[in-house]
Amino acid sequence: MILNLLVWRQPAPDAPGRLVPYTVHDAAPDMSFLELLDVLNEDLVKRGEDPIAFDYDCREGICGSCAMMIDGVPHGPLPGTTACQLFLRHFPDGATVTVEPWRAKPFPVVKDLVVDRSAFDRIMAAGGFVSADTGSAPEANMIPVPKDAAEAAMDAAACIGCGACVAACKNASAALFVGAKVTHLVLMPQGHPERERRVLAMVEQAEREGFGACSNEGECQAVCPKEISVAHIARMNREYLRALLKRL
Amino acid sequence: MTLDGHVPGGPIESKWERHKFALKLVNPANRRRHTVIVVGTGLAGASAAATLGELGYNVLAFTILDSPRRSHSIAAQGGINAAKNYKNDGDSVFRLFYDTIKGGDFRSREANVYRLAEVSVDIIDQCVAQGVPFAREYGGLLANRSFGGAQVSRTFYARGQTGQQLLLGAYGALMRQVQRGQVRMLPRREMLDLVVIDGKARGIVVRNLATGALERHAADAVLLATGGYGNVYYLSTNAGNSNVTAAWRCARRGAYFANPCFVQIHPTCIPITGDHQAKLTLMSESLRNDGRVWVPRTPRDPRPAREIPEADRDYFLERRYPSFGNLVPRDVASRATKAVCDEGRGVGATGLAVYLDLADAIQRLGEATIRERYGNLFDMYRQITAEDPYRTPMRIYPAVHYTMGGLWVDYDLMSNLPGLFVLGEANFSDHGANRLGASALMQGLADGYFIAPYTLAGYVAGTPLGPVSTDHDAFREAEAQVQARIDRVLALSGGRTVTQLHRELGRVMWDDVGMTRNEAGLRRALERVRALRDAYWQDVRVPGRKDNLNKQLELALRIADYLEFAELITRDALYRTESCGCHFREESQTPEGEAQRDDERFGHVAAWEFTGVDREPILHREPLAFEAVHPSQRSYK
Amino acid sequence: MRHNGRVGENGFWRRLWSTAVGRKALMALTGLLMIGFLVTHLAGNLLVFEGPATFNGYSHSLLSPPMLYLTYLIEVALLVFFLVHLIAALLVTARNRDARPVRYARRRWAGGTSHKSISSTTMILSGLVVLVFVPLHLWTFKFGPHYVTTTEPHVRDLYRLVIEEFHEPGEVVWYVLAMLVIGFHLWHGFGSAFESLGVPYRLPLRRVGQALAVVLAGGFALIPIAIALFVGGPR
Ligand SMILES: Cc1cc2nc3c(=O)[nH]c(=O)nc-3n(C[C@H](O)[C@H](O)[C@H](O)COP(=O)(O)OP(=O)(O)OC[C@H]3O[C@@H](n4cnc5c(N)ncnc54)[C@H](O)[C@@H]3O)c2cc1C
Ligand code: HEM
Ligand code: HEM
Ligand code: SF4
Ligand code: F3S
Ligand code: FES
Repeated sequence: MILNLLVWRQPAPDAPGRLVPYTVHDAAPDMSFLELLDVLNEDLVKRGEDPIAFDYDCREGICGSCAMMIDGVPHGPLPGTTACQLFLRHFPDGATVTVEPWRAKPFPVVKDLVVDRSAFDRIMAAGGFVSADTGSAPEANMIPVPKDAAEAAMDAAACIGCGACVAACKNASAALFVGAKVTHLVLMPQGHPERERRVLAMVEQAEREGFGACSNEGECQAVCPKEISVAHIARMNREYLRALLKRL
Repeated sequence: MTLDGHVPGGPIESKWERHKFALKLVNPANRRRHTVIVVGTGLAGASAAATLGELGYNVLAFTILDSPRRSHSIAAQGGINAAKNYKNDGDSVFRLFYDTIKGGDFRSREANVYRLAEVSVDIIDQCVAQGVPFAREYGGLLANRSFGGAQVSRTFYARGQTGQQLLLGAYGALMRQVQRGQVRMLPRREMLDLVVIDGKARGIVVRNLATGALERHAADAVLLATGGYGNVYYLSTNAGNSNVTAAWRCARRGAYFANPCFVQIHPTCIPITGDHQAKLTLMSESLRNDGRVWVPRTPRDPRPAREIPEADRDYFLERRYPSFGNLVPRDVASRATKAVCDEGRGVGATGLAVYLDLADAIQRLGEATIRERYGNLFDMYRQITAEDPYRTPMRIYPAVHYTMGGLWVDYDLMSNLPGLFVLGEANFSDHGANRLGASALMQGLADGYFIAPYTLAGYVAGTPLGPVSTDHDAFREAEAQVQARIDRVLALSGGRTVTQLHRELGRVMWDDVGMTRNEAGLRRALERVRALRDAYWQDVRVPGRKDNLNKQLELALRIADYLEFAELITRDALYRTESCGCHFREESQTPEGEAQRDDERFGHVAAWEFTGVDREPILHREPLAFEAVHPSQRSYK
Repeated sequence: MRHNGRVGENGFWRRLWSTAVGRKALMALTGLLMIGFLVTHLAGNLLVFEGPATFNGYSHSLLSPPMLYLTYLIEVALLVFFLVHLIAALLVTARNRDARPVRYARRRWAGGTSHKSISSTTMILSGLVVLVFVPLHLWTFKFGPHYVTTTEPHVRDLYRLVIEEFHEPGEVVWYVLAMLVIGFHLWHGFGSAFESLGVPYRLPLRRVGQALAVVLAGGFALIPIAIALFVGGPR
């Protein structure tokens, strides 16, 4: 099959970029979207051109490396799917597809489709953990965790940190990402002692990084490859307000 | 030459305890004067960096990826073993130890494996304390599942995302130390050389992958946790950035590489669809619990699977291994699969696949139960292949999955180069010639949380380590060499891409150094690898610049290392004329066609010393003494 | 960028005002309270259909002691809510814009579980219409001509004012449009406010909000329309 691409090319962080058209003639329905870019890149290399830079690692939808707007939607049109698990059979032959990097102030472009998502790491460093030094842990079965709570925590913990939520949100809000971590740890008893400290720190770090506010539009949950629910955003709001009130 | 693993004396049960006491300690106030480099932030690296940070060391942590929240470890699905015996089914530290030794076909070091089993219980405690959402029973206690190679239920899991959850736990702990200023995190950095000063590992040279800048970092010790080298086969279940470069660069600086030919090939992966394919996806082993593996009796049977009657099907695992059936260990299943495909009875467009059929189970248990058990796997399968596994049997084929070989380390996880510690999949230590399911996560975390922090202290406290500066000649030289290599690679302007060469290398390795090996094939592989290496330096083209993000340059450097390293794997496979675990030499099989070990001649670790690219490496042997268990022939008939 | 989560231990208001979550909570709270006013305001206004006596009497009662004090209180509160909501809205919106300096060349609605709507993306525009509407509205009515009823008791004849107003076709159109825009604001706003305050989005809540938006917009719009069509011209 043939696919026409319009790919954002930007050689360096502060260099100007533009959409460049390409045509891949030997695309196949069994290819993933990243493999399509691989094929195109092989071609570019042979022609002596700079290949398109994009992040990837696992290529099975779990590491959260791959990140690109495909045809106007983060990770492409298929719900619950990362770019690396998006197969070309979902595109009509001859289609023209625009490919752009995530756009958000806290995610500056490094090159082409590669952006710097270290803001997420700094949010996590601010509080996305349980302070449990190695060796200090009690016996694992000491604190029972209701199955439902563990399952619900797992739903939230499934976040792969890809940043699609930010990319989709009209405000470039990190609310879903932060909400998912806050929920995961608040549902586990081990997360309780730091409950307030954590949410305050994470929310405030997200603020410092320059992410926008949540307008409760839910685009994020629609594009999230792990289908994380916006209910976690509400919980984050609740936890934050609760923490503030407790400190009043 | 004989290598000493520095295994402490005394009964196996108390070796670690006594060794911990014997190890020197570093005064808490002094720890911050010691800088430790941790390369790689997968399970092994992240857990080590976090723990060392907690202890008060100055830690520099590096990863190729953009964030320590990612690494190959994140893809592990099945689970993590621990000898908790929560199921009251007869598990114990000794049994986990025994299963692991036996699973490794008696090619691992007893004392290490025992220690691994011993600390396995602490790992679960630690991860639970971090808030890892392990699966639970209704009573709120931890759930377990069983996994290949064991008759007890000792695998802890978090849905199909155990590796992810464990890694996020370690990542959280790591980021906490970053926040406290104990760890300096340097993502998007690739280690390209090790710096050895006065015979000790004292630093590394890395390339900042975003800016292309070369950086020098000095320390009192270097912990390498850079994962496995399965990608030397081009197609594998490994992540795209898994590589051998860090380990190989250490090997070139004098660290011995042990048992490189021990490569695990996983039987249940989604088959290859075409040349464009960049990786292979694993379908969890657990499917074999309910699935039956078969091929048509006649080669190239044109009928769709569902229309082939029972009489025309060959359930070859059940036929060959009546007692274990579809549940034989990974290596056995993989070889049997290859055998039927070699007979021309493989299915699918390429003929390189067999059916994994859950129809019986669906009939017996109902579709709902199967959906509950394997729904996510089925979804993944459908997403990739566009076939519905509820209606037609899945097609599977073996793929390279895990590398038991790695840099040689002693009991302290220190390589023969003082100050270079190697953790996780990057070392060779615990899995012998075959790894059991759910044991890699255990080993990575054992090394990082509970072993390296002690042994590192022993080294730091017991070794005179003067200050070194990154202006030292050794740093200058190393950086200059890296620079020269980069320039050389970028000057290549042939007509092929490095990926093309990588693909070809993979084919050579898969054909001749894959599931079964023989002398002729291995010799052929040696020739072909050398030819590819020559082709690399003549025909490839590496575009772009060195001073910005240049993925082709990264790949080019890694592939150049694979082309050197592939030769070592092949030599090791050629040297080891026995069959053991995943290493199957056709010359050494039982009359029934099973692997035939030769403990007499090969009951040792083969550790290779690099002497030059086109030179014979020097072999060092570490004899494997078995005191607690007695090597027996594995049988799954 | 170190942060220990304890910054400004007592800075409740500062923190509430300086984070997106805090500002949005304030907007939600003020928005909901203003909706509360609108509900009573609509109920009160519908008394216009009961005739001048009832309507004027109602309005008079609100403006004479003891209700007067409550009215003052509510007026001050509304003014505060309005300003807080307004300033927060401006700050939040400016920051949201700032968070995406480079726009996408191509952007599509994600569909599926998204509840992005025209209403949700135009909150600032609909809000600004309210901002224009309210002062004009107060100018027209609250600070408008002070007619006095010709019959006993001699109170302010707001009824007349309303009827006169809504016999101006331009005013009717403007009011109806304004009401639609306000309904539009609340279509997304009501449900959203609950989420901002930490009540998880459950579908009924959104539906209730949308129903309320229709009722409020419809109810308010009904007044000018009905008066223009069915109530006799200015006396
Ligand atoms: C699909 C799949 C499923 C699996 N399932 C299971 C399972 O269920 N149970 C189980 O026990 N095991 C499983 N395994 C095996 C297990 O996941 C790995 O063996 C283990 O995670 C390895 O961890 P690690 O920390 O040693 O290395 P990795 O996770 O590979 O980490 C390597 C790190 O080193 C960094 N790095 C590498 N090279 C360099 C360099 N040159 N410079 C700087 N940084 C570098 C990388 O960026 C990365 O951070 C599975 C493996 C696969 C592929
Ligand atoms: C001064 C004029 C007004 C302006 C400029 C304004 C602006 C806004 C904006 C921009 C938002 C969306 C904020 C976001 O992005 O999430 C919003 C939300 C809202 N507004 Fe207004 N508004 C105004 C008046 C009103 C009035 C009079 C009411 C009520 C009657 C109201 C009720 C709401 C509600 C309930 C929300 C939802 C809050 C949330 O999402 O948490 N607004 N407003
Ligand atoms: C057709 C619809 C409406 C009619 C007929 C109407 C009528 C009136 C009248 C007659 C008054 C004067 C009350 C007095 O001074 O005693 C008034 C006041 C007011 N109206 Fe409306 N109104 C309408 C819609 C709205 C809307 C949609 C809003 C808000 C967005 C609003 C906000 C107010 C406010 C804030 C006051 C001042 C209240 C006070 O000072 O106590 N009105 N309205
Ligand atoms: S919440 Fe979903 S979209 Fe956002 S980072 Fe996590 S996985 Fe990606
Ligand atoms: S799309 Fe944005 S507005 Fe909120 S619900 Fe999601 S973060
Ligand atoms: S490459 Fe890992 S999620 Fe896509």
